[in-house]
Amino acid sequence: MTTSFKLNLRRGAVVTGKWKHSRYRVERLLGEGANGKVYLVHADRGWCALKVGIDAIDLQSEINVLQALEKQDRKQTYLYEVDDLLGEDGKEYPFYIMRYVRGVTISDFLDKNGPEWFPLIGLNLLGKLAELHRRGWVFGDLKIDNVLVADYGYVELVDYGGVTAMGKGIRQFTEIYDRGFWNAGTRSADARYDLFSFAMLCIMLHEPKKLHALTGGLPQIRSTEELERLIGECKGLAPVAGWLRQALGGQFFDASEGAEAWRRLLHRRDTRVKSAKTPGWLKGLAAVSAVVLGISVYWLLRSGI
Amino acid sequence: MKQILLVTDGCSNVGMSPVVAAAHAKSEGIAVNVVGILDYGDVGELGASEIEEIARAGGGLSRLVNMRQLSQTVQMMTRKTAVQTIQLAVQKELKQVLGNGSIEALPPEKRSEVVRVIDELGETSKLQVALLIDASASMKPKLRAVEEAIHDLMLSLQARQGQSEIAVFHFPSSKHGEDCKLDLDWTDNLKGISSIFTKFPMSGTTPTGPAMMQVIDFYRQGDYGKKSRNDETDGMMSDYVV
Repeated sequence: MTTSFKLNLRRGAVVTGKWKHSRYRVERLLGEGANGKVYLVHADRGWCALKVGIDAIDLQSEINVLQALEKQDRKQTYLYEVDDLLGEDGKEYPFYIMRYVRGVTISDFLDKNGPEWFPLIGLNLLGKLAELHRRGWVFGDLKIDNVLVADYGYVELVDYGGVTAMGKGIRQFTEIYDRGFWNAGTRSADARYDLFSFAMLCIMLHEPKKLHALTGGLPQIRSTEELERLIGECKGLAPVAGWLRQALGGQFFDASEGAEAWRRLLHRRDTRVKSAKTPGWLKGLAAVSAVVLGISVYWLLRSGI
Repeated sequence: MKQILLVTDGCSNVGMSPVVAAAHAKSEGIAVNVVGILDYGDVGELGASEIEEIARAGGGLSRLVNMRQLSQTVQMMTRKTAVQTIQLAVQKELKQVLGNGSIEALPPEKRSEVVRVIDELGETSKLQVALLIDASASMKPKLRAVEEAIHDLMLSLQARQGQSEIAVFHFPSSKHGEDCKLDLDWTDNLKGISSIFTKFPMSGTTPTGPAMMQVIDFYRQGDYGKKSRNDETDGMMSDYVV
């Protein structure tokens, strides 16, 4: 449900906070979330992202989550400032300032840099989720739009509007990534919920059209079997097909267990490739060169002293 | 927290105005949300304005959506209205402390504390949603989507920490002297229920207002039943005390 949101900040406009009087110059719109818009702004401290909300209660609820996260994790700054701004319509809108994350969506990144980046990006994303799970949070609204990828597959989660304390009802979700929508479980926040969405994200990256086609069916027929069939038909997903089935079935305890399994999967292929390419004579040669090195070091030390 | 969620596709044409009925609901502490379904032609300007009016009178939200968006809309409206109900209650309390009483007017640090309380209460308070479904002829092709939305709503409500119940009514009722028919009494679980609506009347009338009044009555009876039961236990307790 998109709520009509009339507030528009124009490029070059200067926003001044009502309470703290900090000034921000608007550069451009970065994106639109379920309960607000995110702009790139310039402040004294440099480039930042400004999220302005429609509803003060909704946005504050999101801010509270960010503040709780920040208390647990001193290494990362989630929030720079919270304030209100005066819109052109004379109404006050709540906003907060956060770190600006440079990056593109996973699909854009893979289009540009090639699909061989997919396993690493997946692993990095699982790592990000694992950090949240360790602290008792579930990301909730995991989807392609909410993940940004920077150089060398570095991953950042954006839009924390869905982040939910474990055990509560997921605050915000997107149907096609939602476990409940696929009749595969509850809508309560547990780590497996994120892993389900992660699996959906992988399918979405590879087979968006077929996946959308499945959502048109009757709700009673929607099931993980349908999804598993789709995974089985997709070549790009073949290396992780087993992993995805486990994630859809809720078989990983949390993202760190999922990440471990994902890593093993990739590592196994690496080692297989390596061992096939290292012939016995090369190992022998290596041993010989080690001995030679030992002797020369010995001579070197002797002649030096 | 009590809500009525009206799902309709057009104008009421029989009996009491639904706007008046919604105002009644509000005075009983029941918030009224309205979803207008757009498919197969337009709800028309009159329908659209009526939908908005009903929600305004009932202190709830209104949306016009396609069938595809129905589940998500119903789920989000219910959640938003629940938060709003809590917010109004908290605001009332704050009025004595702050004078103006608006949460938005608080500085961000104070707002943070108030919203934490609202979120907590919103998640843990008991919530009842009575769904009132317009099953007049034009709505018939849309009932499957409505049923899906009901199942989806139940799923979201079950994820709450507080107790949540839904009841389902449709109107018009084929029974004489009844404005809407109860399809499903208060429940917190839809497991095993594949079809909520079984029999449909062929009547073309849309008695939205009278149907809503009947749902308000249903709420009232439920409360009355509970109150009298409480009285009984109180009586027993006092017997013990004596």
